[in-house]
This record gives sequence, C-alpha cells and structure tokens, in this order.
Amino acid sequence: MLEAKNLTKKYGSYTALNKLNLTIQEGEIFALLGQNGAGKTTTINLFLGFLEPTEGSATINGVSVAEYPQEIKKYLAYIPETVMIYPNLTGIENLQYFSSLAGFDYSKKELADLLSRAGLQSQAFEQRLSGYSKGMRQKVGIAIAIAKKAKVLLLDEPTSGLDPKASNEFSEILKKLAAQGTAILMATHDIFRAKEVATRIGIMKEGNLQSVINAGDISANELEALYLKTV
Amino acid sequence: MELKFIRIIAKQEWNSIFRSKIPLALYTVLLIVSLLAAFTGWQYVGKFNQQQAAAREEVHEHWMKQPERHPHRVAHYGYLVFREKSPLSFFDFGLDSYVGNSVFLEAHRQNTVNMSEAGFSNGMLRFGELSMAMVLQVLVPLFIIFIGFHTVSGLKQNGVLKILLCQKASYLEILLGKTIGLTAVTWVLFLPLQLIGLLVGTALLSDTVNSESFIRVGLIVLLYGLYFLIVTILVVAVSAMSRSAKTSLMVLVLLWILLFIVVPKSAQTLGNSIFEAPDKIAFEHAIEMDVSKEGDSHNPDDPHFSQLKSSTLKKYGVDSIQALPVNYGALVMQEGENISSRIFNNHYDKLIGIYKSQNSVSSYLSFTDPYLAIRNISMSLSGTDFDTFTEFQKQTEKYRFEKTKNLNEIHLTQIKYKNDGNQKVSAKNWQQQKEFSFQSLSLTDNLRNGMINLAALLIWVLAGFMVLNFISSKRKYQL
Repeated sequence: MLEAKNLTKKYGSYTALNKLNLTIQEGEIFALLGQNGAGKTTTINLFLGFLEPTEGSATINGVSVAEYPQEIKKYLAYIPETVMIYPNLTGIENLQYFSSLAGFDYSKKELADLLSRAGLQSQAFEQRLSGYSKGMRQKVGIAIAIAKKAKVLLLDEPTSGLDPKASNEFSEILKKLAAQGTAILMATHDIFRAKEVATRIGIMKEGNLQSVINAGDISANELEALYLKTV
Repeated sequence: MELKFIRIIAKQEWNSIFRSKIPLALYTVLLIVSLLAAFTGWQYVGKFNQQQAAAREEVHEHWMKQPERHPHRVAHYGYLVFREKSPLSFFDFGLDSYVGNSVFLEAHRQNTVNMSEAGFSNGMLRFGELSMAMVLQVLVPLFIIFIGFHTVSGLKQNGVLKILLCQKASYLEILLGKTIGLTAVTWVLFLPLQLIGLLVGTALLSDTVNSESFIRVGLIVLLYGLYFLIVTILVVAVSAMSRSAKTSLMVLVLLWILLFIVVPKSAQTLGNSIFEAPDKIAFEHAIEMDVSKEGDSHNPDDPHFSQLKSSTLKKYGVDSIQALPVNYGALVMQEGENISSRIFNNHYDKLIGIYKSQNSVSSYLSFTDPYLAIRNISMSLSGTDFDTFTEFQKQTEKYRFEKTKNLNEIHLTQIKYKNDGNQKVSAKNWQQQKEFSFQSLSLTDNLRNGMINLAALLIWVLAGFMVLNFISSKRKYQL
C-alpha cells in the first residue's frame, strides 16, 4: 500500500532522509520513532507530496506521489500533532466542510455517525471547536479521515499532549481502522504508545532508518532500551 | 479545476469572517467613517456650490448694472468666472482643494485661477482630507489585510492546510476560494454602500441626472470592485507565501506602507525632478519677454505695429489713421490681445505638457501600485483631476479672449478715433454677451485620460491570478 524506495531528501549538503526503504501493507500500523530532526516528519511530508524527493520514490497504492500528487489524494488522510481546524465551526460543520472538499456529501445523520465512530461524544457534535479539548479535536481529525474512506493514514505525533485516557482511546480507534484494512504510518516520540498500537516499529536517527522491529517480538522495556541505544 | 470546491471554500471563508466579532467591529468603524466622510463631503460641496452660485449672480448683476461706458473701460472692469464643483466631488475631493475655482478675467491679462481651499486654510489640509474615496482607497485595504492576513498562513501554522490539501481540492482551488470568499465579503460590505452613497449624493447635488451620471457611478463602483479584488489577491498571495500568520501580517503592513505612502509620495517627487516646471515668476517673465519680442502696442516705433499701421492704411486706401473708417486704437488693442493670448496659450500648453508629464510618472507607476491606478481614475471619473482643472483654465482664457474681442469690436466700430476716451456706448452692448459656464470633460475624455490607469488595473487582476497559479504550483508554499 505504502512504499518508499531509496527515498532521499537533501537540503544542500544536509541530508534529512537517507535512502529509506519501507513497505507498509494494508491493515498495518507502522510507528516511526526518533528524536527531533531524525527524519520522521520529512518521511510523512514526502508521502503527502509536500516535498519533492532528491532521490528515490514514494508510492501509495502503486501510484508515484511525486508524479501524481493529486491522484494519491484519494487514498490518504493526514492528522497533525494538533488538529486546529476551524474554531468557529461546530464538530459537524467542520466534518461537513472537509468531507465536501473530499467530494463526499453526507447527510447530517451520516456526519453524526462518522463522529461517533471516531469516538466523539454526541453532545459535542453541535459545539464549536473552540470549546473542544485536544483529544476531542484529534477525534474530529480521525472522523475526517474515516469520512473520506482513506486507505492510508499518515499521523504526525498524534498523541503528543493527550492525557493517557484520550491517548488510549485514540490508539483503540487506530487499531479499529487498521482492522478495516487501513495502512497507517505514525511518527511519534511515545515509545510505549508505539509498542501498544503498532504492528511494526522503525527507529530513525539522522535521516536513516536504523532498525525495524515487529512490535510483538519485543517488550516495552526492551524497545525503550533499544531506542536509547540507537539514538 | 472544480468550481464546486472553490465555492465551498469561498462560502467557508465568508462564514468564518461573519462569525468572528473583530471583522464586524472593524467594519462598523469604517462604516461610521465612510458615512461621516460622505455626509461632510456632500454638505461641503452643496454649500460651496450654493455660495458660488450666489457670488456668480452678484458678479453678473454688477456687470449688467454698468452704465453707458467706454468699451475699453468695460474690458478692464473685468468679470469673475467660477468653476462649480462636480456632483461627484463630494465622493472624491481629488485635487479640488489645491487648485482654484475662480478666475478674474480682464483685458490684456491672463490671471491665474484663485480661491483654492488650501489657500484659505491653516495649512493642515496638507495632511489630507477625509473623503469617502480616501476611506475606500486607503482604509478598506487595511480592513482586507486584517481579515485576510492569516487566511492561508494561519492554516499552515496549525497544520490545517495539510489536512485541506489531503482532500480532493487542489491548492489553486483553495487559493481561489479564499480570494473569492474575501472579495465577496468586501464587495458586500462596501460596494452597495458606495453605490447608494454615490447615487443619492449625485441626485442631491446635480441639477440634471442623466444616463452619463449613472454610467459614471456604475464605472466607479465597478473599478473599486476590481481594486478590492486586486488587494485581496495580494493579501491571499502574501499569506500563501508566508510560513506563519505573524510573518504575513508584518509583510502586508510593510507592503501597505510601501504602496500607500512611499510609492505615491515618491511618484510625485520623481515626476517633479524628471520634468522640471518653471515657477510662477519665471513663467510670467517668459511670456512678457516673448510679448515684447513680438510687438509692443504702446511703443510707436515698434516694427510689428508700424507694419500693422501701414497695412491698415493701405487696406482702407487712406494716408492717416484719423481718416480710417474704423478706430485704429481698437485695432491695435485687438492685435495686442491676439499676440498676448497666442503667446500665453503657447506657454500655458507647454506648462500643462510638463505637468502632464509629471503626472504620467504616477500613471505609469500604477503598474507597480494599484492604489495609484484607482486614485487617478477615481479622480478623473469624479471630475476632480488635473485635466478637469486645466480644461477650466483653457475655457476661461477662451472666454476672456472672446469677451475682450467683442468689446474691441464695439470699440472699433462704435467709438471714433478722435476724442476716443470721452465717448461712451450703450450698456446693451455687453449685456447681450454670453455668460460663462464651465463645461466639464465628457466621460469619454475622462476615460481616454485615464486609459493607462484602467490598463494597469486590468493587468493587476490578470497578473494577480497568474501569481496565485504560480504559488499553487510550488511545493514550498504548501508547508
């Protein structure tokens, strides 16, 4: 579903991402761990088509991101660290706006259902986002991804700043989406969340993917030790 | 390109502005200032024209009440003519406050236009007046900056632009939607107000409202609509090129200072330094020099007038001026008038040519500054521009020349050469003369004069959309 072949991004003499080779299958959650500047966000931006690779290629569902940036949009959704969407609009209105821009015209009932599937409480649907907590806004972000029936979900530090309960709820939703066949690439600092939610975990350092581990083959403590040793 | 997405984004932009309190608070302030400017402008122009009409009547009455007189004395009695303010001058004061509105016409002399507001003020006019046009030209762009500076940069800053770009709409569709949404807000908030203000003001200030009045009003509103679109495109473009809302605000405020203060002031200074105009003393001295070179009617040995004398004697087949069937003194005066008027007109045309060249710098710079374009064309359509003023001067000189010529004609035919100074003619002779009435430039003339500025506005619109297209094609402006 998601594939990087020798994917490289350089800024002059600085290499932000160096020859990344990675494949993420349908239903898989791949967590990218690494310090700031390790190349996690660069990887996500390359898959989103916001950066042009210096070398190599990124493909989604077999379509080159660099060559067909508009085409790949129909497959993917993106959730940033904080979903700071329109504060003057309600949850329903925000979802309606983004889904209509994805080409979907949902009824109000369908929009409410999508927000429910993303884990948002029904009493929040008609509230303006200015009154939402960070966790609630992330759920609207998830709802936007569900609404456009994205096959690929790219997340950049999605649980950063969430309280443990909200973070846990978020993980559960990701697992559900993966179970429905969505390929998920998640950049995170949160080792324990990565271990808890991901199928596979990659550790990055200075633009290089140093190691890839099956989450089931390692304990949280071992992962932490490996991470600290790597970075 | 999908129009549906552009419409959705534009609608969202519209909703988000109307749901926020700050734009509405800003609009309320501008609305009050606009209404105040329109009302004071309308009141001032109405009062001014009333006072002027009363003065015109008084001058005419004095002229008509002159008793039997020698026609040359009548020519020196003089006549004051006035330029009524155009009905649309309440909207755009233009140069009206700095150029005069009346001129004293008399024989042998081309007096300058006097009685400007600036000449009768404490000098504070130098810092500008509050007119409706000024609000729309200068303050509305600030309003657009404040409601639109974060329109794209704000989305970039909080990551929403990435979410938007992951939907089906392209970056160009997003930028166009934002531009249309913001423009629609500005149009709805300001153009109906402007249209109603112009129509009501014109109807109240004008004796005759004709189709040209409506076309002028329509054109002004249309061109201001284009101007707001240009400013909005600039705001959206800067916002799209900035990484944060703070950066876009700073850049736009700097741009506002550049486009609304630095470039307009520099344009005038540049024009004055490239095309140097003589001062008033030098201008009048040059005319005097040329007149004395051509012929001095008061010098009996002047070759030009000696030639006139001999050719006149030959024409009538007599050997002395006393034997002429016409008054030779009047003939000499008319010849002197012909010479001075021709020389004045030549010098004046040259001077106006220099002033026009100075103004052309501002017109050509409107390709770099849309404010200059709308300022110039707005003045022109409102009848408060430099061309209207020079037209007034030309018409007054023509009128002065014709009036003096008529009086010289009376002198020539009705006053005997002998004992010339002691004769009088009936007052009916000058009572029948036509009154001066300034004919403003036609709409076609205004549009012809403002062609460069019109072209600049249209090029700005086209270039603006091309810039938005360019920005949308660059990945670096998406992050």
